[in-house]
Amino acid sequence: MTPIMSALPFCVAAWLFAIGLYGIVTSRNYIHLVGCLGVCQSATYVLLLAVGYRWDSVAPIFYDHPPGTPAVDPVVQALVLTDIVVGATLTALLLVMAIQVQKRRGTLDPEELAPMKEQQAADACKGRVAEPQR
Amino acid sequence: MSLRLRLILLALSALVLVPGFGSVIGHIPGFGSEIPAYGELINRIGPAERQVANMVSAINFDIRGLDTLGEEFMLLAAIAGTVVLLRGQRGTDTADTAIRLPGRPLVPRAEAVTLVCRIFGPLIAVFGLYIVLHATVTPGGGFQGGVILASGTMLIYLGEGYAGWRRSVLSGWLDAMEGGGALVFTLCGLGPMLVGAAFMENLLPLGIYKDMLSGGLILIENLGVALAVTGGFTQLFLEFMEETREPAAGEDTPSE
Amino acid sequence: MSILLALLLLLAAVTGTGIVLVREPRRQVFAIAVNGLVLTLLFLALQAPDVALSELAVGTVVVPLLFLVAIASVRTSRAGEDA
Repeated sequence: MTPIMSALPFCVAAWLFAIGLYGIVTSRNYIHLVGCLGVCQSATYVLLLAVGYRWDSVAPIFYDHPPGTPAVDPVVQALVLTDIVVGATLTALLLVMAIQVQKRRGTLDPEELAPMKEQQAADACKGRVAEPQR
Repeated sequence: MSLRLRLILLALSALVLVPGFGSVIGHIPGFGSEIPAYGELINRIGPAERQVANMVSAINFDIRGLDTLGEEFMLLAAIAGTVVLLRGQRGTDTADTAIRLPGRPLVPRAEAVTLVCRIFGPLIAVFGLYIVLHATVTPGGGFQGGVILASGTMLIYLGEGYAGWRRSVLSGWLDAMEGGGALVFTLCGLGPMLVGAAFMENLLPLGIYKDMLSGGLILIENLGVALAVTGGFTQLFLEFMEETREPAAGEDTPSE
Repeated sequence: MSILLALLLLLAAVTGTGIVLVREPRRQVFAIAVNGLVLTLLFLALQAPDVALSELAVGTVVVPLLFLVAIASVRTSRAGEDA
């Protein structure tokens, strides 16, 4: 149990980051993509809190326990705590951008939004640099 | 870029990163064996230095207060960006009707929902205030309490409907809270400099350990953060909910 | 305690994977809320009550709500174009 447990939290963090990245790469919908970015973000929370954890330690709040009791690292907790709240506002910003894309282009699919798509196709046919067409 | 190409790029970058990750896992101290020295030091000296029981609050608002000031401005910038994007398109007018998909039945709000919201709304507000005020003693603080208070205002929407919500939650006040909170935090940093101390040095009387009014400057900064987070998140909800309304008559969405 | 932590970590990995694999945004909202709840419990088990409180409020209330509104806005604007 112990050798597995000493690496498990880091592996979970790596897995969350990797799967979130996979979701971002394969996503066909910007709202889904924002959700996948949230998974990548949660990987950092797990990693930071795992770095600051120690067995048989109390939370870094010395109300019930007298000061001097072995406690876990409060610095990483402060980092994660503010990041969660600020991250939520950034999620909101990204979602608004997705709404804007939908309103202006009528789609949320990154594939259909590729700005150079028609241009590239035209170039491939003519074999030269085409003029921007309206 | 096709899906295939993307996946190949992802696999290639994974090939580069996975060995590095394996090496890191092999060399860092095992989970739960030890904690970084900085945190250990703060745990040892923090309670006596600041008369604060909650070390996380002490770090956020005092020991690493400058970093939190940065976070606060990130919050402000993100919310300002969101509001500009949403308002820039539809203006500040409020609309009366909700958007609906054609063919969707309109379910009236049950009286029980209104009752439950009216009972729990004030309770959540009190709980949020409790979380904010006891930042230095028990788990909690301006960030968490602010989000709870802002979420509590959504109960007004649930219980009283959209019109009631718009009547009770005023956008101008929220702007003032958001900006005012950031201003309070900044002044907490600049104030001590007027008397020759360092930026954000904790000069106020520290109070009694385990007392609600302990920690000196931490309490004021905490209040500033609570104001900014409450105002900011409620503003966010307000602008997002406005997005679910029908555009007012005569005002067309811009067509490209 | 160690078993509980391992279980919560694995649960966090599974629900995080769920967010990615649920491709329909309307269903994804529920995956996000469940993941927020699991992360809250995990942070509590990792002796971080402050973080758990923050994640509880943000992960299970604020973020799903923002997603729901965004989805509603996007769906109706699509319906408006079709009409």
